Amino acid sequence: MSAVEDTAARPGARNVTLRFEDGDERRIRVERDEFVLDAALRQGVPLVHQCRSGSCSTCIAQLVFGDIVMAAERATSLLATEAAEGKRLLCSAYARADSEVRLHYPAALIDGAEQRMILAAVAALEWPSPTVAKLTLELPEDSEFSFHSGQYVRIKVPGAAEWRSYSMASTARESPRMAFLVRILSGGVVSEYLRGSCRLGDEIMIEGPMGAFILHSSRAPQIFIAGGTGLAPILAMLDEIRYRPGPRPPMLLSFGCASEKQFFYRDELELRQWWMPELRVILSADQVDNADSELLRATPVAALEQERITDPQTVAYLCGPPPMIEAARQRLIEMGVAAEHIYAEQFVASAIEKPDESA
Amino acid sequence: MDADDKISKAARAALARQYQPYLEAEWGFKNSWYPALFSAELKENEVKGVTIAGHEIALRRARGQVYAIRDRCAHRGVRMSLRPTCLTDDTITCWYHGFTYNLSDGILRTIVASPDDPLIGKVRLRTYPVAERAGIIFLFVGDEEYLPPPPIEADLPIRITDDQNPVAHILDENVYVRGIHRLGNSNWRLAVENGFDPGHLLIHWDNLIIAATDRNLGLGARPIAEDAIKIIDEPNGPKGMMNMYNTRSYKFFGENREIGMKARGKHPYYARTSVFLPGLLLVEHWPVPAWAQYEWYVPTDDKHHEYWEVLVGRCASVEDRREADYQYEHFFEPLALKDFNNNDLFAREAMQSFYERGGWNQETLCAFDDATIVWRKLAARFNRGIQESPYRLAAR
Repeated sequence: MSAVEDTAARPGARNVTLRFEDGDERRIRVERDEFVLDAALRQGVPLVHQCRSGSCSTCIAQLVFGDIVMAAERATSLLATEAAEGKRLLCSAYARADSEVRLHYPAALIDGAEQRMILAAVAALEWPSPTVAKLTLELPEDSEFSFHSGQYVRIKVPGAAEWRSYSMASTARESPRMAFLVRILSGGVVSEYLRGSCRLGDEIMIEGPMGAFILHSSRAPQIFIAGGTGLAPILAMLDEIRYRPGPRPPMLLSFGCASEKQFFYRDELELRQWWMPELRVILSADQVDNADSELLRATPVAALEQERITDPQTVAYLCGPPPMIEAARQRLIEMGVAAEHIYAEQFVASAIEKPDESA
Repeated sequence: MDADDKISKAARAALARQYQPYLEAEWGFKNSWYPALFSAELKENEVKGVTIAGHEIALRRARGQVYAIRDRCAHRGVRMSLRPTCLTDDTITCWYHGFTYNLSDGILRTIVASPDDPLIGKVRLRTYPVAERAGIIFLFVGDEEYLPPPPIEADLPIRITDDQNPVAHILDENVYVRGIHRLGNSNWRLAVENGFDPGHLLIHWDNLIIAATDRNLGLGARPIAEDAIKIIDEPNGPKGMMNMYNTRSYKFFGENREIGMKARGKHPYYARTSVFLPGLLLVEHWPVPAWAQYEWYVPTDDKHHEYWEVLVGRCASVEDRREADYQYEHFFEPLALKDFNNNDLFAREAMQSFYERGGWNQETLCAFDDATIVWRKLAARFNRGIQESPYRLAAR
């Protein structure tokens, strides 16, 4: 509270209104040389964020009015198309005038949200494809760890110094168990652990929950586009919709992998289609060798070529590598999906990790 | 365990996964129309409480219209229907401390001894959509946000058209609808699965109605062709399946030489049996030709269901109705709804403790159980949501 008054008189400080999806709003003062996110955290508004360096895109927000600019001294993951739509990464943005930004999540997400570190145990390790591992962790019974479908945690495997981020492929309903899909990368700390010393019962530190890639309450048609292990948060969202109150919306999932050999979870998606007649699924792979393959030879974005939308309120959720997100966003806007109804989570491999070509 | 066992165990696990949502539906399927009371059971100004899929609901008829409201006062959770108190035409009052709610929207209108209480106008009890059709009060039970509810026709049997002498539909004009309902001490799914079970004729072969009509139901039936079970999937309409007992796709066994048993009766009698979401049965030409028996197995909680047995027949005139009353009272109810179906109720209750203790993963199904598995798969697909246990909801 006092922080607001102390800075109120200083020249160059701006008022920024943070408007949440549920209509709730918070006002903060942002100093001239201060990032908007830092100002919010300093004033007790724990906006969703993670890297604080402009790379993870977790803190993305929509400028409603005013002037908020991205820091010129930082290279960030904000796409040119997103910047043009008025998207800003608050961790790396300055306020140049009194402004308002819209957050794509409800205030409720941060009100009760508490990020914690918990020691979990490896409960299962399965291999849906040669390049994808499904890791199931079990949290202590009394941990009461809760999260929204689509969110992620950071993981530190035994012997590793670094943390890695993974979205939950399961919902909070399944707690105390949490499932993750890990793309196997040669040299990857988690990959090497899973292929090597991982044993049931191993203790793994997790920190979270993180991220604002969550379902929004809309009864409009939903489009999901997932590439590779980007399916994880999408799967959790589909399962969440299955149990959500009220009628289910029409849903379309376009899921693609790099090659037919690496394709995984066809059976899991068939099950969800059986359980939800409202769900249509398009499966694709960039590389398809088998002539009678049921997979479309395409990217999950190109696979949408024939698709049209009928409802301007259509909502889209995207998860995969940045080029896929960019292409998907363009395609969806061409189809007539409103930019503010497109929610995305980027999956980025750490710099030294490379897709495993040997698998 | 040998290799074959392992394979069949894996195959069974995969199959069971396909109908996993059905296994989760201990408390029933939500967002569905269920019968609550016969119209005649709720007289003007009367209040009665029912429990459906764990939802405790008070019904009141005021100026002819039926209203349904949560039967737990917001104040201290008192079940209002235990001592009905209605002080105006459009409200219901909790008999304990006088919290008084609008019947139409559930809003707290006043508190008898605290008329200027700040809670007034702010607190609300949820209400339930009501449809009174064919002499039955139906409630749409489930999520309050499931609006608008689908038409009640979607949760009733299809209209029969593929029969020379089709039985009446319960919503037809000039139909006679009469029946009973009673508590069954088993999970609702055991009840549904008993209703259309082609293998369960053994419990009926010597029932009074069978002996009196000299019918031969056989000892059991087994599907032998693909079209033995017809899937019903009407757009925005009923979902379910028909056991085509009336065709050659089912093989009936009238005799078992191994134990020297033979079904009695001169006249083979195969009544086609269909099951629909959220869990109701249609038996055509039962208990006599041109009549139909409807059965609902309404989930009460996870261990009980309300067993509804309703007969539907065509009756155009007053004389027809008088004759139907006589037949109903002296034949249909005592011989069919009671003597015959008492055996079904008994069988379901005999399975309850097994299924309550993990039986869903321990049963050993045989050749005539195809219909049961098809039903489970369809139920997993076409339900409008699984009712969560109120204990689990409370724990959140």
